[in-house]
Amino acid sequence: MAVVGTAPVPSTVALEFARDHHGVAWITVACAVAACAPAGLRWLRVAQREHYLAGSVLRFAGRWWRSTPTNAALATGAVAAAVASLWWPPAGVATAAVVAAGPIGLGVRGRTSPLAWTRRLRTLAAVWAGLVVVLVVVGVVTGAASPLAVVAALAVPVLVDLACWATTPLERRLSGRFVDRAAARLVRVAPTVVAITGSFGKTSTKGHVAFLVTGTRSVVATPASFNNRAGLARAVNEHLADGTEVFVAEMGTYGPGEIADLVGWCPPDIAVITAIGPVHLERFGSEDRIVEAKSEILGPAPDVVLAVDDPRLAAVADRAAAAGKRVHRCSARDPAADVAVVRGSGGALSVYRRGSVLAEGIEVPVGVQPSNLACAIAVALVVGVDPEAVGSRLSGLPSTDHRLQAVRSGTGATILDDTYNSNPAGASAALAALASAAGDGPADGGGSRRAVVVTPGMVELGARQFEENRRFGAAVAGVATDLVIVGRTNRRALQVGSASVPGAGVRTVLVGDRPEAVTWVREHLGPGDAVLYENDLPDHYP
Amino acid sequence: MPDVAVIFGGPSPEHDVSVLTGLQAARGLAGGSGPAVRALYWSKTGEWFEVDPGLEAESFLEGVPRGARPLVFTAAPGGGFSEAGGRLGRSRAVELDVALVCCHGGPGEDGTLQAALDLAAVRYTGPTVAGAALGMDKLAFGAVMAGAGLPTLPRVLLGGGVDRPDFEGPYILKPRFGGSSIGIDVVQDFATAQARLGANPHLRAGAVLEPYRPDMTDLQVGVRTWPTLEISAVERPIRSDGSTDILDYRDKYVAGEGMAGANRELPALISPELEKALRTAAESVAGLAGVRGMARLDFLSDGDTFVVNEINTVPGSLARYLWVTPPVPFATLLADLLAEARQRPTHAYTAAGADGSVLRSAGSIAAKLG
Repeated sequence: MAVVGTAPVPSTVALEFARDHHGVAWITVACAVAACAPAGLRWLRVAQREHYLAGSVLRFAGRWWRSTPTNAALATGAVAAAVASLWWPPAGVATAAVVAAGPIGLGVRGRTSPLAWTRRLRTLAAVWAGLVVVLVVVGVVTGAASPLAVVAALAVPVLVDLACWATTPLERRLSGRFVDRAAARLVRVAPTVVAITGSFGKTSTKGHVAFLVTGTRSVVATPASFNNRAGLARAVNEHLADGTEVFVAEMGTYGPGEIADLVGWCPPDIAVITAIGPVHLERFGSEDRIVEAKSEILGPAPDVVLAVDDPRLAAVADRAAAAGKRVHRCSARDPAADVAVVRGSGGALSVYRRGSVLAEGIEVPVGVQPSNLACAIAVALVVGVDPEAVGSRLSGLPSTDHRLQAVRSGTGATILDDTYNSNPAGASAALAALASAAGDGPADGGGSRRAVVVTPGMVELGARQFEENRRFGAAVAGVATDLVIVGRTNRRALQVGSASVPGAGVRTVLVGDRPEAVTWVREHLGPGDAVLYENDLPDHYP
Repeated sequence: MPDVAVIFGGPSPEHDVSVLTGLQAARGLAGGSGPAVRALYWSKTGEWFEVDPGLEAESFLEGVPRGARPLVFTAAPGGGFSEAGGRLGRSRAVELDVALVCCHGGPGEDGTLQAALDLAAVRYTGPTVAGAALGMDKLAFGAVMAGAGLPTLPRVLLGGGVDRPDFEGPYILKPRFGGSSIGIDVVQDFATAQARLGANPHLRAGAVLEPYRPDMTDLQVGVRTWPTLEISAVERPIRSDGSTDILDYRDKYVAGEGMAGANRELPALISPELEKALRTAAESVAGLAGVRGMARLDFLSDGDTFVVNEINTVPGSLARYLWVTPPVPFATLLADLLAEARQRPTHAYTAAGADGSVLRSAGSIAAKLG
């Protein structure tokens, strides 16, 4: 409470200035404009993390101001003070103070993902600052300087969103130059293009393809996160060396039409859809629209690889076949599929090609999903890798970073790192791996082995977010001894879920952020214990 | 004073290792009181950039680092590097004293880059066009060594009119061109070797076959040529994994520090006779292969006898770790490389003899064709 003693309390400041009403109005304007600086940095960072999509900043602002009772009270106070300032300008100083300081928990700099002053961000910041200046100037001209300055401070997230929206056409024009260069480069190098999309499994499948093809063709895969228009163009311009024979491109989508644009200038020879799930559901609306958006990848590709265990992708496969494409159906359970990878009871994998065995008894890292691997094998066969070579390479398959990667900690506990996963299907696979890891550990005699799940839950699941996290919480209770919930984004859903299992006896631990969770794990886990880190949210999430 | 430029990267499978070597060299040069150091990064797709010489390796993970300034390279007198698209369309030349070449494999080590620098009259460290090209061609290099009477293993071109080598398997199959162990394979018989030729992308440009000798291990020495020819201590690289048949790319480079961080026995525990023989052979190789700057020679030995295997004309980490007896600091090695680049030209083009007499007596071109 030392803060109150040393800093001027807004209301006393206001009283002091009330003697000269005119001067006070100007002080209010100055405070409001000053408050825009830290608030601007804060919300510009959110805009950057959310791919500059207009509307996302306001959504996050809503999340943050509702995240804790303190933030909610501050927000209510700030709005009330802003309204009061219409009659009594000094109240606006209180609004400015809240805008400058809050929401509590959302840093200006950022810990996991600091603000990067890229050319794009500088443009965005300039446009946003321009909007603030326009508001204030209009205020000065019309004699409403103080109310409009207070509005500018209060509406920083809205103005940043507006700036995102306004700069989108310009950014498209600018990135068009890089896209044109990339398109020309693709024509010149002329590799076989493998395009991979899916709600999850894209990156793993891409890694598997690159690994299987490497011995036979010179192959370049896009780096981890380069899966949108700008990223793909950059990958082509900077990584696609002359002489590359196979280019494996991951294509992500945040909305309809995005993949259609990508395949327009990076046309795939082989198109792959790994899975459909409720990822980015809040941007698509429904899973049917996700299927539609992902199917844009099929475009002109003569060869299509689909994970048909999902009936929706089986339907896509039938349509593609009817359209005259060569369809390669991949499965994790039906050996009669074009390529099937089936996990046996002992964990080893068997690979089938239209019913006949291609390889058996393959041991792979714990995080490898048979369905993704089947898709990758199908691609390798299409680009001409010898079936025997596929079989012999499979046993050396590496794990994908942060995708259910198992490591042994210094204290002897098993750590399962699944921090890049954020979908319900992957989460249940991870829980199964945790159950078996906890079972495998050396017995310590007491039989009190711990199985811990550390998670902030899953996001971007639209209307299903609460329900999916509640279900996940319940599933955790069936497997784990402790559930460490990180942050507040999904805290309640996970708590409700884990408490819904009668007699499970799972202990729930609440922590503010990931480092706090790691400290807890270090203190409480020893040899034979196992911990699953499921998903990680950057710190622009509450 | 014009600056010293470190050149690294390049469209090569060894691009990443070259980034490590380049950043190490930039750091090594920056420590001294010499001229300013500039870092010139050659991207995987062949484009040139100037980057901050103090960068860390991870800045290159995703591609061209943030803040890199595009350069253009002109292979003509008065050319060299200049800033692309300067303000008002004017390009500003990058005034260079010497370029320190840190490129491994591909066009940075096979003479292509060296030829371009020669044409632009940029002085550079390391091999000349001829030395680089010979060092990168395992078939030609082996033939030169064998021709001079140095001990070598038989080495034949696979598919180059040779129906079957006159030595028995198992064989070691290597790309004919290439600076590292990428693409190297051990095969049991000739039929498998021929099958690999079509399947292994690294062998497209040609492959050589030699007997696989598991009884022999690698021994390596450094050779530097300025101010005088010097041979380093003998090193025995150690495989990280006893199961692999040959010292692979991972053993050499993936340890983290590049070549300087790999496992090794240094100086190697070998007999004084063998060491003496290796040093004498190294001096001959240096002359035969036209070594300039700093090269690493790879021998194979069974403990008593040895054969000359390969040469690396721009070795990883510039082979700085080999200079232990007596110790030579990295700064000295770098300073000597730069001094040699300034004082020992890589080429001397001459137009002597082209005095016009041929032109005068030529008559009309049309008459000649008629």
